[in-house]
Amino acid sequence: MNREWPEMGTTDELGRDIEIAQALWLIDPTHRDPNYWMRFRSWVMSGAARELARRRMVARLTVGDVVQSWARTLVPTALLAAALAGLLLWRGFAPVPMSVEELLVSEIEGETIPVMASPARTREAVIFAVEAF
Amino acid sequence: MLVERYQRPAYAVALSVTGRHEDAQDAAQESFLVALDRLEECRSPERFGGWLMTIVRNRSKNLVRRESLRATDEVPPGTRSRIPTPDRMTETRELRALLKQALMDLPEVQRQIVLLHDLEGWKHREIADRLDLPCGTVRSHLHFARKALRNALQSVPGVPEMMRAAP
Repeated sequence: MNREWPEMGTTDELGRDIEIAQALWLIDPTHRDPNYWMRFRSWVMSGAARELARRRMVARLTVGDVVQSWARTLVPTALLAAALAGLLLWRGFAPVPMSVEELLVSEIEGETIPVMASPARTREAVIFAVEAF
Repeated sequence: MLVERYQRPAYAVALSVTGRHEDAQDAAQESFLVALDRLEECRSPERFGGWLMTIVRNRSKNLVRRESLRATDEVPPGTRSRIPTPDRMTETRELRALLKQALMDLPEVQRQIVLLHDLEGWKHREIADRLDLPCGTVRSHLHFARKALRNALQSVPGVPEMMRAAP
């Protein structure tokens, strides 16, 4: 059955020529395969998977991530350095080892025997002896 | 998602250049991968559509040059026909062949415009932006493309009825 087509057909809400659009739909892959675009998309996505993963990784890196990645090596190193510095500091304030003789006379004023046996120094000892006995 | 948004127009543009389903499919799919690789070259996101269509056109033209002698089955693998009877299948196949021939007789730019407008539902302004053409030129091309398609299709007996009956 023949039908004369008007030169300009009616259009839909998108401004498409309805009859031309119907004709063109015959060459749309969906016409023969309803899942075509889903397969198309999955093919593209699987082809782009590696690049997408790389871009996701790059996009995820924030300032915090960079600091954190540095912290993994920086914190143990800093702790080790602090411990080493503490040890060195503690060793710096530690008393120098002394011999027994040195210990016996350390912090004792160096006085000569005559001074120690002078009447002024011995008087207290005599008073103490008198009081005690 | 960019693929979902632009897959149909990308295919339409590729088909308008290659004229063959499988070539259009390959060109459109490869264009998305190329676009992803070169995404930094697209300086403004709002120009992505036009930039992608340029890639699709270039890839399609390269494909046509490379595979000009390739003979392919138009039916994609895994395609299931929803047309119930052999007679209807034959009619639809003939109509499709006729339509494709009518499209291929159009200048490439008219083919792109009529596919983007009447198949994909893009507005004149969108097509003008994407194809980098003045809006008036798009309207003019669309008018002449429709007229040519109508002339080609109305010469075949029963075409409008076949189209309506086609699933």
